[in-house]
Amino acid sequence: MARERVEVSLTINGRTYRDRVESRLLLCDFIRHVAGLKGTHVGCEHGVCGACTVLIDGRTARSCLHFAAAVEGSAITTVESLATEAALHPIQQAFHESHALQCGYCTPGFLLTTVELLGRNAAPTTEEIRQALTNNMCRCTGYANIVKAVGVAAAAMRGDGAAKA
Amino acid sequence: MKPAPFKLVAPRSREEALAALAEHDGDARVLAGGQSLVPLMNMRVVQPGVLVSINGCRDLDYIRLEDDRIVCGALARQAAAEESDLVRRRCPLLADAAPWIGGMANRNRGTVCGSLAHSDPLAELPAVAVATDAEIVLASRDGRRTLAATDFFVGELATAIRPGEMVEAARFATAWSGERTAFLEVSNRQHAFAVAGVAVRLDLAPDGRCRDVRIAVMGGGPTAMRIEAGERAVVGTTIGVEAARAAADAVERAVDPPTDIHADAAYRRRVLGVLTMRALQQAAGRS
Amino acid sequence: MTEALHTGYIGRDILRREDSYLLRGQGKFVDDLPEPRDTIYLGFVMSPYAHARIRSIDASRARALDGVIDVLTGEDLAELTDPIVTEIDFPGYIRHGRPVLALGKVRFVGEQVAVVLAEDRYIAQDAVDLVEVEYEPLPVAADLETAHLDGAPQVHDHIPNNTIFSARFETKGFDPAPAAATHSIRERFRSGRVAGVPLEPRGCLAMPDHTADAIVFYSSTQVPHILRTALGKHIKGASESKIRVIVPEVGGGFGTKAQIYTEEVVAAALALKLRRAVKWIQDRREELLTSIHARDHLYEVEAGFDGQGVIHMLRVRLHTNAGAYSSLPFGCTLEPTGGARMIVGPYRIRNYAYQAYAIATHTCPSGAYRGVAQPTCFLTIEGVMDRIGRQLGIDPAEVRLRNMIQPEEMPWVNAVGVRYDTGSYVASLKRAMEMIGYAGFRARQPADRLADGKYRGIGICSFTEISGTGAPGWRARGLIRMPGFDSALIKIEPTGKVTAYISHANAGQAHYTTFAQVVADAVGADIADVTIVEGDTGATPYGTNTFASRSAVTGGGAILRAGRKVREKMRRIAGQMLEAAADDIEIREGWAEVRGVPGMRVSLTQIAETAYSMNNLGLPPGEDYGLEASDFYDPPLATMANAVHICTVAVDPEDGRVKVENHVVVHDCGRVINPVIVDGQVQGGAAQGLGEALMEELVYDREGQLQNANLLDYLLPTALDMPDIRIEHIESPTIDGEGGFKGVGEGGLIGAVPAIANAVADALAPLGCNVNRIPLRPSYVLGLIRAATGR
Repeated sequence: MARERVEVSLTINGRTYRDRVESRLLLCDFIRHVAGLKGTHVGCEHGVCGACTVLIDGRTARSCLHFAAAVEGSAITTVESLATEAALHPIQQAFHESHALQCGYCTPGFLLTTVELLGRNAAPTTEEIRQALTNNMCRCTGYANIVKAVGVAAAAMRGDGAAKA
Repeated sequence: MKPAPFKLVAPRSREEALAALAEHDGDARVLAGGQSLVPLMNMRVVQPGVLVSINGCRDLDYIRLEDDRIVCGALARQAAAEESDLVRRRCPLLADAAPWIGGMANRNRGTVCGSLAHSDPLAELPAVAVATDAEIVLASRDGRRTLAATDFFVGELATAIRPGEMVEAARFATAWSGERTAFLEVSNRQHAFAVAGVAVRLDLAPDGRCRDVRIAVMGGGPTAMRIEAGERAVVGTTIGVEAARAAADAVERAVDPPTDIHADAAYRRRVLGVLTMRALQQAAGRS
Repeated sequence: MTEALHTGYIGRDILRREDSYLLRGQGKFVDDLPEPRDTIYLGFVMSPYAHARIRSIDASRARALDGVIDVLTGEDLAELTDPIVTEIDFPGYIRHGRPVLALGKVRFVGEQVAVVLAEDRYIAQDAVDLVEVEYEPLPVAADLETAHLDGAPQVHDHIPNNTIFSARFETKGFDPAPAAATHSIRERFRSGRVAGVPLEPRGCLAMPDHTADAIVFYSSTQVPHILRTALGKHIKGASESKIRVIVPEVGGGFGTKAQIYTEEVVAAALALKLRRAVKWIQDRREELLTSIHARDHLYEVEAGFDGQGVIHMLRVRLHTNAGAYSSLPFGCTLEPTGGARMIVGPYRIRNYAYQAYAIATHTCPSGAYRGVAQPTCFLTIEGVMDRIGRQLGIDPAEVRLRNMIQPEEMPWVNAVGVRYDTGSYVASLKRAMEMIGYAGFRARQPADRLADGKYRGIGICSFTEISGTGAPGWRARGLIRMPGFDSALIKIEPTGKVTAYISHANAGQAHYTTFAQVVADAVGADIADVTIVEGDTGATPYGTNTFASRSAVTGGGAILRAGRKVREKMRRIAGQMLEAAADDIEIREGWAEVRGVPGMRVSLTQIAETAYSMNNLGLPPGEDYGLEASDFYDPPLATMANAVHICTVAVDPEDGRVKVENHVVVHDCGRVINPVIVDGQVQGGAAQGLGEALMEELVYDREGQLQNANLLDYLLPTALDMPDIRIEHIESPTIDGEGGFKGVGEGGLIGAVPAIANAVADALAPLGCNVNRIPLRPSYVLGLIRAATGR
C-alpha cells in the first residue's frame, strides 16, 4: 500500500497548523509532532487509558482514535490552552492544591475531561465526578485526590469561596 | 501501534459516500466515530485499503422521528442519542443504555450506527437494537434495503452488510404506551467492557399487567440475542417474583455464552439470568 | 559537637514544585524531547511463539521499503553487544545469558528477534510487518505449576526442571512438630500474574554528543546509574565514561522501569556505532508483552499453633514464575528470597523453615514490581491468621495480637536475622481497628450480611515493609552487583543559593519537593533557595537509585550526611565572622546565629562569599575554598516500616461482584517528610493493590500466548472502584539509620491485597467458601459461592 499524503489543516487552541502528512497520521501525532504540542500524552493508542484526551469542537475525544486528516475543520483544544503565562486555570490550580498528580503523565487527559464535566455540570456530586473520570486511568494517585480536586475546582469556578482544598 | 497506510476519502454527502464505497468495492471501510475501528487499525488487526470518512456528511447526522420510529442517521453520535429529548421520551431504552458505552470521550465521537455495524456481542447498542425491533437501513449506490436487527447481526463482528453498502440509518421502534425499560450489565470492574448485559422493555397496562415485552441479552452468544422464551414467561403477568424467575430461567436455558479470560460460560449464563430478573423487576418498578 | 537537626521543613505539607509545568503540559517525557531531523526510529520484530527455533530471517522486503535504513538481527547485535547476564551469588541460582536480540531460539512471546531502523515510527511498524521470520515451534512450558515437573519442556538446556533458583532455610533447631502446636493448618495461596503498567510506556533516545564518540542517553528509567554501568558493560568497546544517562520526566515506574532492558542496550549500541540519534518509544502492546511481569506465585504453607492461636511452627514452600530470563539487575531470586524472608512480618515466629524456588517458563521475564514478594507473602501469613481464628473461634484481630511482637520486645531480630529496630505493630493494629469501627462491624455483621442481599466482610493486613535496603540486605539475597548506597552532593553557591545533586531519579514521587525539604533543614537554608538536581549521571554522584521504597531512606540519609559536612564548615566560617566558637553557631532558614545572642548573625550568602573568596574576610586557617560536600549513605540490612490496612467489602452473592466499601490505613514510615505526599503514595499503592486483588491478571494460555496484551482486557482500577481511604500515621523513627526515615513506596499496595482478599474470605466464610487465590473476579467469586452452596 502506497503511503498517501494529504494536506491537513487543523485549528488547535485557536491557531491553524498546516502540513502535508500521511492520511494515516493519528491526531495525537499531529498535535505532538506537527503542532509541537507535547502536553497531549499517548498512553495506549487503543482508546482506553484517556491520557491523549483532547477536546474536538468542545467535547472530549481520544486523539489516538482519530486520523488528523479526518477531523479537518474541527477545533481542537489541548492542555496547553488552559493556563495563561501568569496563572493556572482553576482546574489546574485545584489539582495542584489537592495533590492530584504524581508523575503527571495522565494529568492532561484528566484536566480536559474535567473541563467537559464542569462545563455541563457546575456542581457535580462525588459520584458524578467518579463516573465522569472512570475512563481516564491514573496509576499513581489512586484517584482520591483527583476526585477531590475536581470538587474543589467546581467550587472555585462557581465562585464558592468557602470551598477550599 | 500505528495503522497501516490507507487511502482516505472524505465525501461531503450521502451520495458521495455511496459513490466512494462503490468505487472501492470490497476494500473500503466506512469511518464514522472510529471508536471500534481505529483501535483495530492501530493494532493492525484490520488494514483496510480505503477509508471512507463520513464525518463530513452533514446529511447523515440526524436523530428524528419518522414513521413512528426513532431514526439515527449514520453520523448520529452516541452522545447525541444520550442527550436527545426525543430519544429519552420516545425510545428510552436507547437513552438508558448509552451511558454504559465506553466513556464520554468515546460516546462524543462514536456513532450509533457504527456500533451496530461493528456487531460486538458484548456491546450495548446491538442489544438495544434487538430489544427495540430496530430496522437497519443499508444503502449502496444501487439502492436501499432494510433488515430487522435480528437478521442484520449474523455473528461476532459479522453483519449482513455487503461490499459497497453502509449502514445509512438505524430505525428504533418507539415506546409502547405503557413502556418501562431497564438496561443492566456487569463487568469485571465497576465500569469496563461488559461481561454480560440485559436490555428489557415492558408494556405495562394500567393494572400492572404486562401487555408486551422484549428481552435482549449481550454476552449470551455470538450476537445480541432476543430471548422470546423469557418474554413468554412474563407476558400477561404482573411481573411478580415467580414470573421474573421463570424468565430468568428461560434466559439461562436459551443462551450459549462464550468462555474467555473475563468470565466462563457458566458465569455468563447465571449472571444473564440474574440480570434478567433484576431488569424485569426494575422496569416494573419493583426495585 | 553536632547540632541536632532542626526540622523546619521536614514534616510539613509543602505543595509540589513539579506541578506547574506538568499541569501546563510542559513536562518533558522522553517522547517529548526535541530530536534531530535525522533521528533513527527503532521498531522491534517480536516473536509470535513462546518457544521456537529461528530457522531464518529474511529482511529483504523490509529493507526495500522507502524510509527504512536497515534491519539487524541477533547475529548483527552479537557483534556489538554481549549477552545480558544477571550475576547473583547465591547457592541454587543458575546463571544464563540473554542476547539483546534472540540468537537461534526464542523463549517468550514478544522476545525481540530483529530491529528495524527507520525514518519514523509508522514506517518502522510497516517494516516490522515485512520482516519474514521462519520459526520451528517447540514445546512450551508456560505454567508455573507444571514447568518444574519431570518431562516439562526446558527453557534453557542447562537448567534441569527449569528450576533456575532454589533455596532452603531452617531456623536453628527447627522442629516441624513442636509439642505446643496442638493444632495445624495447611493451605495453598495462589496469586495472579500482574504488571506495573505505568501510564507512560518505556522509551529511550540516544543522542551522540558533539564529539561524536560519546552519547547522551535519555531513558524513561528509575535507575540511571545502574543503566549507565550496564550499557558500559554490555556494549562492546564502549566506555562507561562516554555515556551520560539523563532521566527526563518519567510517567510512572513502579519497578517496571527499574530494570535494564534489551531495547536500551540496542539503542545505545546503534547510536554509538552509527553516530546518529536513535530513538525507541514502546507501544502499549509491547509494554504488556515485554516489560517485566510480576507475582504468579504459589505458596504452600503449614502452620502449627496452640489452642490460643499462637503459632509455634511455620513452614513454607513457595514457587515463583521467573519467566524466560533472569531480569537485570534483580534477577529471578528477588521474589522467592523476598517472600521467604519477609513472611514472618510483625509476628513472633521463631520456628520457621522455607523452601523457595524460581521456575523458568516460556513467558515474559519477571521483575521488581511495587511490593515485590510482599503482597503475596502477606496474603499467605495474613490468610493463615484468619484461618487460625476461624478454626479456634477467636477473632482474627485477636489472633494477630497474640502473635505480634510486643513493644517491649523491640528491637527484634526476626527468624531470618533481620533486625526490626523500631515499629508500632500493636498500636497500628489497634488504631486501625478503632478507625474502621472494628468491634461495631463485627457486632452488626450477622445482621448486615443479608440486609440488602450482600455478604459483608472485614479483612486485615498487618505487615512489615522492607524498605531502604542497604548493601548487607542485597548481599543477603545474593545481589552482589546491587550497591545499596545512594549519595548526595550539596553545594552552597557563591550567592548563597543551594544546589543538591542526588543520585536518585524521580518518577512522580515529588523528589524535587521532598528532597528540597530535607536539604533545607540539613544545611539550614531557606527552602526557596534550594534546587534539586537528579536523574543525570553527568551531574549527580553514583547511587543505587529509585525503587524498593528507597529514596527517602537512602537519599534522605545521604543528604543529611553531606549536609552535616557543609553545615560544620559553615559554622566554622560563621564562627570566625562572628568572633564566636563554631560550636555556638546555629544555622536555620538561611541565617547563622550565635546561640543565645539574637541579632549576632550572618547570612548564608555572606558565609558563601567568604568561602568562595569573594570578600575581604578570608577563611579560617586551614580551611579549603568552596562550600560543598558529598557523602554516601548505605543503610543497614533493612529499614523496617510497618502498617495495617483494614477494609470492608460487600460481596453480591448473585453476580459475584466485590465492592470495597471502607478502607483505613495506619502507616508507620518513621519520620514523615511530607505527609500529603506520603498519603499519595499510600493511596496510589492501594489502588494497585485493589487491582491485584480484584481484577488485574495477565493470562497466558498453554501455548504461552498472552491473552490480554491491551488495556481493554488487562483491567486497571478506575475512579469508580476506589473507596475513600482514610490514612493516619504513627511515627516510629528508625534508630539504626539516618534521619529516622523509613520507606513508604510499596506499603499501600502490599497491605491492600491481603486486606481485600481477607475481607472477601470473611464475607463468604459463613457459606463455607475458601478464598485462597487472587484476583477475585466476579466469575471466580460466584463460582466459589455456587460450589459451596450447591446453587
